[in-house]
Amino acid sequence: MGRIVKLFIKLALFAICGLGISYAFAISTPYWFKPKAEAHVDVTDAALIRQGAYLARAGDCIACHTAPGGKPFAGGLGMQTPMGTIYSTNITPDAQTGIGGYSYGDFERAVRKGIRPDGTHLYPAMPYVSYAVVKDEDIKALYAYFMSSVEGVRQDNQPTTMPWPLSMRWPLAWWQLIFAQPRDFAATTTDPQLVRGAYLVEGLAHCGACHTPRGIAFQETALADGPNSRFLSGSVLEGWYAKNLRDEDTGLSTWTVDEIVDFLKTGRNAKTAAFGSMSDVVEHSTQYLAADDLTAIATYLKSLNARDGRSPTWQPKEDLTTAALKAGDFSAPGAMSYVEHCATCHRMDGKGAPRIYPALAGNSMVFADDPSSLIQVTLAGGRMPRTPHDTMAFTMPGFAHLTNREVAAMLNFIRNGWGNHGSEITEADISRMRHEIARKPKHYVPGEQE
Amino acid sequence: MTNRSLILTGIAIVAITAAAGIFALTHQRTLDAPVNDAIAILDATGARIGDYRIPPDSSIAQEPNAVAIMLGKRLLNETARLLPINVGNGLNCNSCHMAQGKLSDANTYINTSNFYPAVMPRAGRAVDLVTRINGCFQRSMNGKPLAEDSSEMQAMVAYMDWLRQDVAKGARVAVRNAGPIDDTLIPDPERGQAIYAAQCASCHGANGQGMKDQSGNYIFPPLWGDESFNIGAGMARTYKAAQFVKYAMPPAMNLIPPLGTGGVLSDQDAVDVSEYFTHMPRPDFAGKVHDWPTGNKPKDARY
Repeated sequence: MGRIVKLFIKLALFAICGLGISYAFAISTPYWFKPKAEAHVDVTDAALIRQGAYLARAGDCIACHTAPGGKPFAGGLGMQTPMGTIYSTNITPDAQTGIGGYSYGDFERAVRKGIRPDGTHLYPAMPYVSYAVVKDEDIKALYAYFMSSVEGVRQDNQPTTMPWPLSMRWPLAWWQLIFAQPRDFAATTTDPQLVRGAYLVEGLAHCGACHTPRGIAFQETALADGPNSRFLSGSVLEGWYAKNLRDEDTGLSTWTVDEIVDFLKTGRNAKTAAFGSMSDVVEHSTQYLAADDLTAIATYLKSLNARDGRSPTWQPKEDLTTAALKAGDFSAPGAMSYVEHCATCHRMDGKGAPRIYPALAGNSMVFADDPSSLIQVTLAGGRMPRTPHDTMAFTMPGFAHLTNREVAAMLNFIRNGWGNHGSEITEADISRMRHEIARKPKHYVPGEQE
Repeated sequence: MTNRSLILTGIAIVAITAAAGIFALTHQRTLDAPVNDAIAILDATGARIGDYRIPPDSSIAQEPNAVAIMLGKRLLNETARLLPINVGNGLNCNSCHMAQGKLSDANTYINTSNFYPAVMPRAGRAVDLVTRINGCFQRSMNGKPLAEDSSEMQAMVAYMDWLRQDVAKGARVAVRNAGPIDDTLIPDPERGQAIYAAQCASCHGANGQGMKDQSGNYIFPPLWGDESFNIGAGMARTYKAAQFVKYAMPPAMNLIPPLGTGGVLSDQDAVDVSEYFTHMPRPDFAGKVHDWPTGNKPKDARY
């Protein structure tokens, strides 16, 4: 008995010492691992501010740092994590509640290294792992823009809903030591267009934050392309599948450079439209990018080679669906539901209406490796982004009133109709997505009822 | 208690807790669709006498006349393609009777087969359902009537009879064919033209020509010109069109199923845009001389 108690006491002391050392080490990292790098920035330089405004668009800062209906950059957008909701922060230049008191060094370290001026480590929801490769001159431009052009808003940051001990931040220092090493952008080609595309995609545009699969510690499993890389090969966040962007079968092999550019500029093209999180990205970020930059991004994405075991092209099956539906043959499982609920807009031929109703036939989101986005947009609906290019922006209604069995059959019909082919969706998948939708985080906007 | 049993007990407690935790984390109760909302069935005095639920098409198979109902459904959806001899333009029945006639405020068929026969002011006499359907063929679809005893006509009637479910004659389901509009508003067609360009032209075309798919079938119906409805159609009347436009147009505007319709235009917007597009050139209607034989012609009648 005594031996056991002694063993427990020893173990407890050992654990406390270990934690203490680990904690002390963690809070020391801002001083030696990621020290501040001060520099002089002329925040009144109009050209620099203009460049910063453009780069802030490319970085899509506004999308996460603004709650729906809230003031720009004042934070409060809730982000769902398995441990709880974390809220984006106020990055307006308000001295008390925003970043008005930040020196350039403070700003640079927060954006590129994920450490606040007080030494607190930022959650990797802030994509500092991607921003790490942004060049000094671009960070300086961003600083000039935020300090002099963004309107200051007094709005306190919201604490996370994570319970203690998960809410402790210092273990993030260890996470950063392992997964967020300071690094520079490394070009792997001399083609200036591909270099520019890679620089934007890996860095400010932080496409990988959603589109690259994450590992067990929530780290992106690749930060740049490489042989057999999982970079941008598709990942699920908040129940949306950010699609595979590699130039392979279910990735972007069915998209041309022009179609990608059109999609990023206007939120849609003749075949498909953005919805879910990508709708926000187009609305707040990519629609403002210069044609050269969009072409560079699209060209770079099309240069991401197919991985081993994946085909560089998509092979559709023969389309037997259109003829069957037009002949009144609704005997295939899900076909009756499709005609009743979907065909008015998406049509018997599954081709929709160009720039209005997305096609389902040959749509890489429909036959994506992971059907999460297809399921969520069907249950909850979706909205196209609004851009000046088109006078109307359309929505898809949500069909949560249909049973799991009917939705699963209908989606399997769509996923395997008109030559599409994809893995089977089960009723349990539909139920899981209903839970996911019910868990959506609440956003924080001052003055709004909770 | 020996050390060994203490350790074993400890391990057992940890194992049970872990198993319970894993079960709690991985097991999720099934979430499914909420119960289909009931719509009230009202008697002639407006008292609720029962519940109506919009039937899914999958339930048609249980009906003894399932083949006729399914044919009716298809003909109403794809009238122009399936009945080219009778349809003289680019429209389908369900161009106006949206979502297969299951949508309130979009000319639903839910009460149709119980409503007819009825004395109609335009005809000045009692009209039965097949006559009414043939009215649509000759006016809205600018074509020729179907033989009253044809299998196609009987199929369309069968669909409407099925959609009524077991609602008795004399009772009605609390849905609206069309929502209210303020008909004292003075239409401004110039303002209507601007609204048309902004809110309608994306789908119906800058010249009202509609939009066709790759097989030549209309995705969006033409709103004027030779391929559109003639002046004898209800839709050619400003305020009647405005009722439809305000509540059923444009679709895909919100997240509400089945079509995300409406909620965009004010009464004045709807009246203005309807005045504009209804008065654009469209086919004449030879039978117009027989309309409103007993007077009471509405103020927005076209002749």
